[in-house]
Amino acid sequence: MSLIVKRITRITVSLIFLFGVYIVMHGHLTPGGGFAGGVIIALSFIHLVLAFGKEEALKRLKESTVSIVESIGGLMFLGIALLGLFGGYFFLNILAKGKPFHLFSSGIIILCNIAIFLKVGAGLFAIFIALAVFRMPVSDNEEAGSNPKGIGPEDTFKRGPKK
Amino acid sequence: MSLYVLCFILFAIGIYCLLVKKNLVKKVVGLGIAEYAINLFFILLGYRPGAEAPILDPNRVITDFVDPLPQALILTSIVIGLGVTALMVAIVVRLYEKYKTFDIDEIRRLRG
Repeated sequence: MSLIVKRITRITVSLIFLFGVYIVMHGHLTPGGGFAGGVIIALSFIHLVLAFGKEEALKRLKESTVSIVESIGGLMFLGIALLGLFGGYFFLNILAKGKPFHLFSSGIIILCNIAIFLKVGAGLFAIFIALAVFRMPVSDNEEAGSNPKGIGPEDTFKRGPKK
Repeated sequence: MSLYVLCFILFAIGIYCLLVKKNLVKKVVGLGIAEYAINLFFILLGYRPGAEAPILDPNRVITDFVDPLPQALILTSIVIGLGVTALMVAIVVRLYEKYKTFDIDEIRRLRG
């Protein structure tokens, strides 16, 4: 991308990230929550890929890290739900509720929002890099079977189904 | 009432695009249009003129608010739509790598 896009991206990516964190942390008070904040944070990384190319973005956040973070999000949500079994039943809000309309209130809901944010943000970024960056290699079987002697795809049916 | 009719017209445009167009990317876009028409229809069902968003406010009491149930349903629908679109785009990318075209008339090996 051009120099203008790179300069602007370097300024705005951190702001987009910060806005996503705000949306996640205030999910129990204002509109938004884990899903919307996760999408915004994934978009900040996608922004990096679009401006600087895949190397720069994957240097900051490797695809194995993305996979691990996504799994941590799912397990954290399950762990929060199982934590309620100590108090009585599944998904019981056992933490202190606090005062309404304060940031640290509402018990486990803020932790659930963080878990959903990890899952959605990492998952969406993983979908993007899987679609845009990785190219699946054509396997040898398809390569040999599709065009052995210049036979077009139309002739495949006459030769019977491939193994 | 006319807004509901406009929603169905938008849905019909999406279905038309899905059925008639030959390009696979246009089919994906058509399914997206149909899906968003459904989402818009459900949100309109919960709308009331002059009402506010159903958010608790510490400073005042909101008595007249729109129906929050369709909004919660449609949030789930948007997430599922994201997954469906990602799956369709992945399949279209694989088809393009194999056949080097988006035109479904040229993808002949799937026939017969």
